[in-house]
Amino acid sequence: MKLELGKINIKSVRLGNKTEVKEGILTINEDCIKNLVLEDERIKSVKVEIATPGDKTRITPVKDVIEPRVKVSGAGGMFPGVRTKIDLVGSGRTNVLSGVAVVTCGKIVGFQEGIIDMSGPGADFTPFSQTCNVCLVIEPFDGLTPYDYEEAARNAGLRIAEYIGDTGKDIEPDILEVYETKPLLEAIAEYPDLPKVGYVYMLQTQGLLHDTYVYGVDAKKMVPTILYPTEVMDGAIISGNCVSACDKNTTYHHQNNPIIHDLYERHGKDLNFLGVIITNETVYLADKERSSMWTAKLCKYLGLDAAIISQEGFGNPDTDLIMNCKKIEALGIKTVIVTDEYAGRDGKSQSLADADKAADAVVTGGNANEVILLPPMDKIIGILKYTDKIAGGFDGSLRPDGSIEAEIQVITGSTNELGFNKMTAVGM
Amino acid sequence: MKIVVTNNPLVSLKISDTEIDFRNTDLLGVLKCVRDRIHLGHKLLTHPLAGSIKPWETPYRTVLLTAEKSGLDEDSLSVIEYCIEMCNKTIVSKAFYYKRDEKNLSDFQLIDFDLIFGRFS
Repeated sequence: MKLELGKINIKSVRLGNKTEVKEGILTINEDCIKNLVLEDERIKSVKVEIATPGDKTRITPVKDVIEPRVKVSGAGGMFPGVRTKIDLVGSGRTNVLSGVAVVTCGKIVGFQEGIIDMSGPGADFTPFSQTCNVCLVIEPFDGLTPYDYEEAARNAGLRIAEYIGDTGKDIEPDILEVYETKPLLEAIAEYPDLPKVGYVYMLQTQGLLHDTYVYGVDAKKMVPTILYPTEVMDGAIISGNCVSACDKNTTYHHQNNPIIHDLYERHGKDLNFLGVIITNETVYLADKERSSMWTAKLCKYLGLDAAIISQEGFGNPDTDLIMNCKKIEALGIKTVIVTDEYAGRDGKSQSLADADKAADAVVTGGNANEVILLPPMDKIIGILKYTDKIAGGFDGSLRPDGSIEAEIQVITGSTNELGFNKMTAVGM
Repeated sequence: MKIVVTNNPLVSLKISDTEIDFRNTDLLGVLKCVRDRIHLGHKLLTHPLAGSIKPWETPYRTVLLTAEKSGLDEDSLSVIEYCIEMCNKTIVSKAFYYKRDEKNLSDFQLIDFDLIFGRFS
């Protein structure tokens, strides 16, 4: 399966009469966006606001972040099984509005969710301070259940990402990247002397506000399976996960998974990247045993020499992470796990909720308990008053002048466990 | 057959086809009740610290156990002991920083309920 990603560099975004891309500038029609969002009768109102890198702007509470893309050729459409009919994605050409993100905001429950600062010290901790963000602040009708609100907000973000992405359909991209994974036997035969490496992609799937969807299927209702890496790049996985802002994978992270990107970079050079095994993070212990057993079985079945395992979230998913690691290692396959840490403010506490000697190669995305002072901003997109109540915030987090003292877990993507951030740790 | 150990009133309200051991206690109290039942021979069916909402944030916890009793299940015991130790450490240290907003209690109840019973919806 071969996918061409045509990246159109967008320098800035502004409001205007027509939604279009011209000479690297994206113009969006605010009324069109509002009308599309309000087609969902569950939504009472939506505000459309633009945040640009360097602005003295704070966006909160962030629900999801999505990169606008469009299928130019090949099967399927954007977000198959959700926005478009089910068809196999991951081949042909997809154009990307690079440098743009759709950000959804909404108070689905009275806690959790994240912060994106477009400038200041907090901006260094989130990749979305570097994108031009089209923010949708979504307010539901009174009495709407959190289930319906979450779904409505999720769909609104995807709908607008699709609408904006469509503007790139006939534009010649600035960069063309080509990614290809061949059928298994061909792939193994092509580089017989290189170690065969797979990627175990753990998806958060525990319940309301903790869910991920694969081709529209709630991933807690599936068993582990194999995807071509290009399917992931092409919108097969979307986020319904609104909790643990620092280490949740937004839809943007799924679309731009750096582990997949880097494995492709090294494919054919010092390793043979064979594919992606997706698995879930469940609540039931029997499901954990089943999913980790099948994940290990699929690693063996593919003939892997090594696997990279990434986690999403913290706490209970650490159990799934360690189960996957132990069972894969027990089959003679080397593993590297990618996680983050809750090691206390001084960094001295135990980092993970579970551990095993088989997990002897670990990459960390950082310590979510590290404290940061976020200065006041000139403009707030969304609602600031929940800052005391979100994860990593605490009583008195929000100061009268608008500054916030909190743990970095309040910041969207700060300790992302795909490595989509700048923090790490080195051995002493 | 299952037993639900919970301090979440929403679970009592919504679940009628399963035996419920409702405890008017805090999160740690629920975990200790679960530990006692494990010593009596029940096995854990769900992870006691499911979800990404931290134990110092939510006051609610719901755990499923087998209704049947057999010998002491070492795996269940080791998981619950670890969870209690973790909560003991973190709840005490975090409570100093974190003040719960009583207005969010219904949201915390809903998330706790959905973590355990959402799979069946």
